[in-house]
Amino acid sequence: MVSSTEGNLVVRLFLVATAIGVCAGAEKPVDFNRDIRPVLSDNCFTCHGPDDKHRMANLRLDTEDGLFKVVAPGDPAKSRLYARISAAPPSRMPPAQTGATLTGAQIELFRKWIEQGAKWERHWSFAPPVRPALPSVRNEKWARNAIDRFVLARLEREGLAPSLEADRATLLRRLSFDLTGLPPASAEVDAFLADKSANAYEKQVDRMLALPQYGERMAMQWLDLARYADTHGFHIDSQRDMWKWRDWVIDAFNRNLPFDRFGIEQLAGDLLPNATARQKLASGFNRNHMINFEGGAIPEEYQVEYVADRVDTTANVFMGLTMGCARCHDHKFDPISQKDYYRFFAFFNTIAEKGLDGSKGNAAPILEMPTEEQASQAAWLQQAIAEHEAAIPEKETKPLLAAWQKTRLAALPKPATDGLLAEYVSESILPGRTVKGKPTFTAGRPGQAIAFNGEAQIEFPGFASERFAVAFWLRSGALGEMTVLEGGPGFDIGIEDSHPQPDFKRGSPLYVEFRGRRWHSDAILYGAQWHHVALNFEDGKPALLLDGKPVRMEDVGASGAIPAAPLTIGDPHRDKPLKGDVGGLRIYDRSLTTADAEALALYEPIRYILAQEESKRSKEQNARLLDYFLTYDAPADVRRVYGELNALKARTAQLKKDVASVQVMAEMAKPRDTFILARGDYRNHTGKVTPAVPAVFPPLPKDAPANRLSLAQWLFSQQHPLTARVAVNRYWQLYFGIGLVKTTEDFGSQGDAPIQRDLLDWLATEFQTHWDVKAMQRLIVTSATYRQTSQVTAELLEKDPENRLLARGPRFRLPAEMVRDNALAASGLLQKTIGGPSVYPYQPAGLWEELARGETFTAQEYHESAGADLYRRSMYTFWKRTVPPPTLTTFDAPDREKCTSRRLITNTPLQALVLLNDPTYVEASRALAQRTLQEAGRDPQARIRYLFREATARRPTASEARILLDLAQRRLEHYKQHPEMAAKLIAIGASKAGNVEAVELAAWTMVASTVLNLDETITKE
Amino acid sequence: METTRRHFFSRTSTGIGIAALGSLFARDGLADGVANGLPGLPHFPPTAKRVVFLHQSGGPSQMDLFDYKPALEKFAGAELPDSIRMGQRITGMTSGQTSLPVARSIFKFQQHGQSRAWVSELMPHTAKIVDDLTFIKTMNTDAINHDPAITFIQSGSQQPGRPSMGAWASYGLGSENRNLPAFVVMLSQAQALNPDQPLFSRLWGSGFLPSNHQGVRFRAGSNPVLYLHNPEGVDPETRRDMLDAAGKLNRLHLDQFGDPEIETRITQYEMAFRMQTSVPDLLDLSKEPQSTFDLYGADSRRPGTYAANCLLARRLLERDVRFVQLYHRGWDQHNDLPRDLALQCKGTDQASAALVTDLKQRGLLDDTLVVWGGEFGRTVYCQGKLTGTNYGRDHHPRCFTMWMAGGGVKKGFTFGETDDYCYNVVANPVHVHDLQATILRCLGVDHLKLTYKFQGRHFRLTDVHGNVVKEILA
Repeated sequence: MVSSTEGNLVVRLFLVATAIGVCAGAEKPVDFNRDIRPVLSDNCFTCHGPDDKHRMANLRLDTEDGLFKVVAPGDPAKSRLYARISAAPPSRMPPAQTGATLTGAQIELFRKWIEQGAKWERHWSFAPPVRPALPSVRNEKWARNAIDRFVLARLEREGLAPSLEADRATLLRRLSFDLTGLPPASAEVDAFLADKSANAYEKQVDRMLALPQYGERMAMQWLDLARYADTHGFHIDSQRDMWKWRDWVIDAFNRNLPFDRFGIEQLAGDLLPNATARQKLASGFNRNHMINFEGGAIPEEYQVEYVADRVDTTANVFMGLTMGCARCHDHKFDPISQKDYYRFFAFFNTIAEKGLDGSKGNAAPILEMPTEEQASQAAWLQQAIAEHEAAIPEKETKPLLAAWQKTRLAALPKPATDGLLAEYVSESILPGRTVKGKPTFTAGRPGQAIAFNGEAQIEFPGFASERFAVAFWLRSGALGEMTVLEGGPGFDIGIEDSHPQPDFKRGSPLYVEFRGRRWHSDAILYGAQWHHVALNFEDGKPALLLDGKPVRMEDVGASGAIPAAPLTIGDPHRDKPLKGDVGGLRIYDRSLTTADAEALALYEPIRYILAQEESKRSKEQNARLLDYFLTYDAPADVRRVYGELNALKARTAQLKKDVASVQVMAEMAKPRDTFILARGDYRNHTGKVTPAVPAVFPPLPKDAPANRLSLAQWLFSQQHPLTARVAVNRYWQLYFGIGLVKTTEDFGSQGDAPIQRDLLDWLATEFQTHWDVKAMQRLIVTSATYRQTSQVTAELLEKDPENRLLARGPRFRLPAEMVRDNALAASGLLQKTIGGPSVYPYQPAGLWEELARGETFTAQEYHESAGADLYRRSMYTFWKRTVPPPTLTTFDAPDREKCTSRRLITNTPLQALVLLNDPTYVEASRALAQRTLQEAGRDPQARIRYLFREATARRPTASEARILLDLAQRRLEHYKQHPEMAAKLIAIGASKAGNVEAVELAAWTMVASTVLNLDETITKE
Repeated sequence: METTRRHFFSRTSTGIGIAALGSLFARDGLADGVANGLPGLPHFPPTAKRVVFLHQSGGPSQMDLFDYKPALEKFAGAELPDSIRMGQRITGMTSGQTSLPVARSIFKFQQHGQSRAWVSELMPHTAKIVDDLTFIKTMNTDAINHDPAITFIQSGSQQPGRPSMGAWASYGLGSENRNLPAFVVMLSQAQALNPDQPLFSRLWGSGFLPSNHQGVRFRAGSNPVLYLHNPEGVDPETRRDMLDAAGKLNRLHLDQFGDPEIETRITQYEMAFRMQTSVPDLLDLSKEPQSTFDLYGADSRRPGTYAANCLLARRLLERDVRFVQLYHRGWDQHNDLPRDLALQCKGTDQASAALVTDLKQRGLLDDTLVVWGGEFGRTVYCQGKLTGTNYGRDHHPRCFTMWMAGGGVKKGFTFGETDDYCYNVVANPVHVHDLQATILRCLGVDHLKLTYKFQGRHFRLTDVHGNVVKEILA
């Protein structure tokens, strides 16, 4: 795989490292922060750095005092530091066993630095940025704004010239991806090409910044940082609902919420005075972390992890600091002690949360977000329920019930005895039976039931009858398929594999195998709930009365024949063991009527209760009795009110489920204490600490309470050295692929030094005056620097392969989401609805299920969306952390387990397979082909032009068009020969092929697929 | 140079023209056949060129399988003494139990082979190969629940975010096969009847390494690698034709833009095309003789079973795939252990042993390391109700048994000793980080030196721990 390129590359990178400042030339002064500190940090600080407890030889090199104990400015020979790093082993530093080594060039730099006077500087990023003056440049005409002055000054110093402006189509496509995440429509390209005004480009910028898709695009980067996902992430990984928070982010960008408010509301919106629901919602930011509820896990262990995640994320996102390094010991590289860490930790440790939570959806604290309509409905329901309850007060119903009880028993219809072959009353069932295992008794229906644990069986005499009925009570306790009753004339009655039902319950159809056929019930039997089953066998097939009501049985196909045998409750073969409770088994030699079944299902349990002395009835039995009375036997007006009351309660329950909620921050009533945890372990409490910011930074204002809100406000003070720098650096990365500080997540001692600190500081000071996010984007994209072509010469590539100096425009593969969104947009399939619950586009079957736990949990089975939701922007794809969307991760999307501030870019064959074969892209190709055939007329040339432009925004060259025309011609011939293949190809995808000829459409589908697979198509250039 | 190289591999979205190479696939044109790992690797002459890790997810019970404890007959039903438990933390599933009675194993043990290794009756096939194995009786871990424990053994950290072992191997050593991934993962489902534990793709993820080092899942069914096959209605000739056209167009664009990333894209498409043949070839078992299926058991004809995955593992290793990771679910016997453990063993024992035997008879065992084991062991005390015939066991981190074979480890050897309760290590503990260091050592890698700088720190598989267990190396 491109070995030759690779070989050259290493050489090239080495050259560029030399060229752009890792090694200083002979005349160039050695810069401490650029040339010396990083080497000390990476090789020496582990033993001679900020960590008090592990420092060797009582020598520290991270402070000025410490360093000059072993450095004599101007005199390398008298500097112990130089002596030791240049000594022969074993005196040589660093020692071999550390794995660290200094290169000859690095040692030489130390010598020169000392020789030149050993000028020391504080680590650059811990001092607030000072606005630098604009540098003077020779080519003043080129510079459009301040950014260009800095970039150009550097290029001129390096002897480089900027590139020409990119051609308009390419530039608009670049801008459109950068500001909206979508390609420009052809009409938009046309308009831009036709606009001869001087500010034509700026007009496009303003148009795009005003589009709602701008907010979506900016949110994409923020969702990675905020580790946004739709599941909890640990272990069973069931669903959570944070999409309301995600939509808040999109909206915040669109209304250009200033970055300080954007940050403060997300970190501490709940603590703002008179916080609005929207501000509380924003605080969901720090509830996006993973949450666990694994059975057996220890709550405190995970509660500590949640707080640690908030610390890592907050420090990374707002300060570019790797605070997590100080969790177990003092930071090895940066001046952050372990105590600093836990004082910072204390800000986030007083949330009213549980260590283990989330098994049923969102984890506390939760903010309910009803729509206005839902809120008024809830209020109405609450009142209506109160009124109904008042209409049938207990003091009135109680005497009625008492009177009714006295007479009702005698009047209740008795179960039919006509044709009763056998009745196995539960309590007397065992004597005389063949019993395997140990069945036990449990309270059930009608009275006692027998509990089966998967091993127990009870055998009864068989019976033979052409026509018969079997009735029993069942409460299933299993998840897998199981046999309840087998044998007799040759049947197997049981329940199917269970599946989660919409209301979190588990349920499954009843199955019957009989005479070589299998049937499934249309209705669901819920797990852990009593059901009465009555099955009539007549004319060789079963008919079901479930809970007294007829339910259709569907013939699902052939099955093995079950031989006549003794009747067994429990599975005689032990491959579908019965787990659950069975009661009241009756066998009839006739079919049961609905009235018969009703008597068994409805009256029999009540009769059982009434037959008991009142004092012996359980609370649950009394409740059932009251319910029965109010439902069936009370005076008509009482029955009506009771019926309405139940309906209102059901509506309330449903409404509660329908209301969207979100996990948010909320403080505990009594705050949790924070301790320094030795080695970071939740079990090792040492000293108690209170919230404070790390000592290296300016403190919180004196009058500010030490809480999250103060912390958030402190981040945005004008004196803070990091917040603005880190933010603008990440914007820079958005456009140019790589930040001015390459390590966007680490501005500490181990991070990369800024390639142009003056530019970074100018941008930071510019940004923090008003924190105007849109203005900052506008500033960057209107620069001449951004507008350059990304074409590169071999010479420039060699000098600056990573394009850090920006003598050309950015060129790199689109982020995962845009790869797909671009294809959907080009094909016309894209659905631009903004926000809402996440969606389920095409995904190969089984990916979730193969890994999942299943049972009653959510997000265990993937159910593809239907219709428009198949074509939503990829940022709305349901993000299951333990099985993230495969085509997005193939294109380097992160798993969203942790805060991610940079995505690496790879180029792999698996990506090729996705673009070639994923139905998403095959369908998009067909839809693009169809648009082409319908819009571009009959002329193949015109079709090629149309299709190519939809995908790339530009017209193909003559040689490009030739290649595609030839391909179209050959594929047309091919599909003429193989119309059946054409039919198959164009049938892929949920959308239907329109009224175009199949063979032609298939041929052009392949042309479209070719274009959608081009490097250019998936690249911002 | 080292730093430069690393930066190159960890290239961010730079727009620079060169591929992030990584080692999903080896490069073309390396005449000496050396893989595209990092410069300077391997650090030592490797004793294993490849690894197959047979992960038994859930935590198999060591005292019911390999760590024979006759003294338990004596302790059976009695309370676990505090002097043995020593206040160690236990999971929320049994910490509320008022009693922790000792459950003996109901299974019979016998000694086997010249090495006289004890094996329970549940593993009759493994019993036959004990003279090829090194048993480690004293594996121990820091975690007591599934998610952290399995994440720990696969990535060296209990919390998510780190690269998996296979990803490290791919990153450090690259691939030796130009048509197959360096790191392949296969899953199989439980035989046990109680619900099994979930798995997570982070277990074969690349963490902060470039994503091309993540394990590629081979699945049973029509598309063994996601999107491997051409869509319906696209035959190989059509595919070839459109790839040629795309290649020409990409080349024209390369001439204009000069970005070598385009050249890489072209190569990757050719690689994808070759995979469309190489993967089906790999999966095509039609030329395997009946004796193969006899060896691995009848299940090996059923795609997606553990036995079929073991057979495929052999075929992948034959093709020099660097790291093959199997996961078999269902070893979490909190209750009904006698029934469910027997089912699990019945579903796996023959195939695990067959893989070792098969590699051996093909001469591959000498430079292939086979590793068998779960993320932790099980408690000697009973979870739930203890009866004469039924019991369950909770998670136990302090000792559990794994075995290894081939690739530079001793044959017919047992390392480490646990106490009579199978609760604590008595001699020669092997921590998860030690196991990881040892596996890397077999691959010729110094676990201290295979690092990746992320968020300012040089991370490694073994975190800041780990010692190579030299005693088990041949």
